[in-house]
Amino acid sequence: MKEKKYLLLLIMTTISLFGASEDEIKQSENFYNKSLSELLNTETELKANVGSRNGERDLLLSEVPIDVITSEQIRQSGSSELSQILERYVAGFNFPRPSINDGTDHSRPFTLRGLNPDQVLVLINGKRLHQSSLLNMNGSVGRGTSSVDLNTIPIASIERVEILRDGAAAQYGSDAIAGVINIILKGYGHQNQITATYGQTKENDGKMGRTDLFYSIPLKYDGFFNITTEYRDRGATNRAGADRRQLYPDGDPRNDLKDPITMHYGDADTQDILFAINSEVVLDNSVILYANGIYNDRKSQAGAFFRSPRDSRNDVDIYPDGFLPMIAPKIEDYSLTIGTKDTLSYGIKLDLSYTYGFNDYHFYVKNTLNDSLGDTSPTSFDSGGTTYTQQSINLDISKKMNSFLVATGIELRNENYTIYAGEKDSYILGSHSKNAGAQGFPGFKPSNEVNANRNNAALYIDTKYNKNKNLLIGLAGRYEYYNDFGSNLDGKLSLSYKPVSKLLLRSTASTGFRAPSLSQSYYTSTTTGQEGDTLYETGTFGVNHPVAKDLGATDLKPEKSIHFSAGFILEPFSGVSFSTDYFYTTIKNRILLTDNITENVSPDVKTILNSYNIGRARYFSNAMDTRTQGVDIRLKYKYRFENHSKIKAMLAYQYNSTDITDVNTAPSILGDDGEKILLGDNTTLIEESQPNNSLKIYTQYIYGNIISKINLDRYGSYKTNWADKVYSFGATWTTDVEIEYNFKKIYSFAVGGENIFDTYPDKFEDTGSFFMSGNGVMPYSQHSPYGYNGAFYYIRLGIKF
Amino acid sequence: MKTVYILLIAFIIPLFASNQERDLQAVFLGRFAKFIEWPQNNRDVFTITLINENPFEDLLDKLYIGKTIHGKKIKIKYVTDVKDIGLSDILFITLDDQKDVGKVIKYAQKHSILTISEQRGFAQRGGIIQLGFVMQKPYLVINYDSATKSKIKISSSLLAIAQDVIKEEAE
Repeated sequence: MKEKKYLLLLIMTTISLFGASEDEIKQSENFYNKSLSELLNTETELKANVGSRNGERDLLLSEVPIDVITSEQIRQSGSSELSQILERYVAGFNFPRPSINDGTDHSRPFTLRGLNPDQVLVLINGKRLHQSSLLNMNGSVGRGTSSVDLNTIPIASIERVEILRDGAAAQYGSDAIAGVINIILKGYGHQNQITATYGQTKENDGKMGRTDLFYSIPLKYDGFFNITTEYRDRGATNRAGADRRQLYPDGDPRNDLKDPITMHYGDADTQDILFAINSEVVLDNSVILYANGIYNDRKSQAGAFFRSPRDSRNDVDIYPDGFLPMIAPKIEDYSLTIGTKDTLSYGIKLDLSYTYGFNDYHFYVKNTLNDSLGDTSPTSFDSGGTTYTQQSINLDISKKMNSFLVATGIELRNENYTIYAGEKDSYILGSHSKNAGAQGFPGFKPSNEVNANRNNAALYIDTKYNKNKNLLIGLAGRYEYYNDFGSNLDGKLSLSYKPVSKLLLRSTASTGFRAPSLSQSYYTSTTTGQEGDTLYETGTFGVNHPVAKDLGATDLKPEKSIHFSAGFILEPFSGVSFSTDYFYTTIKNRILLTDNITENVSPDVKTILNSYNIGRARYFSNAMDTRTQGVDIRLKYKYRFENHSKIKAMLAYQYNSTDITDVNTAPSILGDDGEKILLGDNTTLIEESQPNNSLKIYTQYIYGNIISKINLDRYGSYKTNWADKVYSFGATWTTDVEIEYNFKKIYSFAVGGENIFDTYPDKFEDTGSFFMSGNGVMPYSQHSPYGYNGAFYYIRLGIKF
Repeated sequence: MKTVYILLIAFIIPLFASNQERDLQAVFLGRFAKFIEWPQNNRDVFTITLINENPFEDLLDKLYIGKTIHGKKIKIKYVTDVKDIGLSDILFITLDDQKDVGKVIKYAQKHSILTISEQRGFAQRGGIIQLGFVMQKPYLVINYDSATKSKIKISSSLLAIAQDVIKEEAE
């Protein structure tokens, strides 16, 4: 009897899964029986634009895997930075918190799927957002790349963030290898709001205050002018361990000080002013004129390595107790898009836009000195900086023709990258010692200055064929021409098929590329040293610099990728969906920073270095090929109880694994160690320094005026290379909770905590170093995917009007 | 046994991904009618007309088959030209060209037809009900003046739940 019951259940389930061809009508019937107010409170399925030039579609019908993070999820977070918020919700989004990494401390890169920060394309309202001019040069994840700084966007301006987990260079061009992030700014119909948030860590540091205002001015025909302002002040955190070095000269009683903390190892002290606008003016004839933009002014400071009183780079007359140089950049970043949208005759839709994006990363160093200038040295310096400008003109044309959706367009882009010198005292070698330049961050020299331009033009077509509504075939192609490396052609084929109403199968295959960034091609930064009467330079050289060329550097080629993904979405019950997608990506000619090339490499190298008075040099090269594969799993559930309370839950898991499959032939001048020099110490960074799995479990429960949230995150294990030895760090769980009370639908008050159980990542074992070691100054790996601040608690007040 | 029934019911509830916004819009077309009073007419059929593209495919035909509105059987009509609208009760407009939209609204006002569209600015342009979506929720704008001009009465309960009602101050 029991068996019969289960058999019946199985039959009914099968019928339900494979025989319900009338589901859509039943859904509408279900809606039809609800009251009007219930209908108006119905929350529809999330939609996304990204990955298609043919308009929004429901996520559950998407031919490519997409995550959408809503403004509600963004608001329900104690974090003040968009990258940190996304890291909490999106499996496979990695945002480590590097420290003592020069500029990287202040503009921290993020990654998707374990790839590099510059292998992700970021869009605002569908238009390409520029990268930072900062080139991450230290040991952080993303070493040798420039990343988009998501934290330049005020979070109150965001309606949703769409994350396409698929290669899409055939649709969007360069960089769309690991995925595409499309940030949709709030548009028509959003309520005005003021929010104030205050929080701090359990250790009583990292004090964060944030206030923002979102204000919308309605215009004729549902046009709008929205403005968002935000002020964000994040205090530094410090988890530095004791400095066990001998800090003072022999016999100095201060050497007996127990466990002195001399360094800063944690978040930078940062103040941000942010603005965003988003506007659409609808004319009488329905033509839409639109504009959107963001502006960020950031002042930040974080420590370099401590120079002890007995350090040869210290001047005890200026700093009798030694000094901690503070790198304190001023970063200005803005972007503005203007455009028009119209529907012409025969239903042809047109979108013409111009985007200007700019980033200025200006280094200053405080609490420091140029030791070579002696006692007269200044203690703060303007060390110069870098700028990046991107201008794009974009014309999109689309038309629906029966079962065909066709979109085509052109894009013209101009990029400019500059390096500008710092003040003279920030880089010169004086006569007092051989320690040239400002300690902490020596300034860029006039000889490092660069003003590089690049133009490119692209022509693309994106089609979708949807004859039978259960079958969708997409075909896209994009031709690009860059005036530096030439042309590129990419294609993408996507298929989705609903064999039965509750199941969607989907698959994509595509090629992609990433143009070498101007910063990788042209970055040059050197410091002066002295040996005897001879001055010499050491540093990083652009690939077209004579010394780099003599050492085997060639013009950088684009990274080329091949992608494949296949998966399914299943919705077995109302309100429950489950998706699994396998992905596979190969990348050829990945660009890496070489190891330092010294005279020890070979006599020929020594001759070249000596001829240019160079001590050691490094440059960027197309060094290797990699293969990344993995799987994404999403499980979503939502339910409305009879008492009108609601629950929403999401489980997101990603596994990814990256392997180096080939190392390119090194220039012959680099001799037998050429391959080793090409790879530098990047092997661990590429393959193992990012967790290869992550799990996010998000639950929101709404009952009356109360909204509660619990977020569980599991970060997989990762490894860090230090002094040619690889150290492992275990997986960790963190827990975030928040409870919010709403009053009269106007006022809200929330209390919450992130990582409430004060979980810390594993410390280094005893490496024998004074620095990166469990008992050293830097006890935690900078590759920790959730930092090492411990618990963070906050309160938030909101007013809607 | 009870558990098995619950499981069975759960499996049979048939809600897979369709375009939920479209499904909702299809339902709203008929549901709004319950809150609308048209001038007296002798027609024995309640006609819902779609002009231009039909985004619902066959959903409206299937949803409204066998149903009645104000005691009348429902007829779904698809037209592409204002000349073909004829006598209708509800007109769902998907036209892009505002000149065409203007003509259709004028026709609808003359013949007491309830005009509905999802186009932004539709209500401000003289349409009666604008049904869009903001943040995954239906967003309703009603042009009360336009309804009055069309000799159509909208119940206060529908007006009360609209996010925005366009109404002359003088009234």
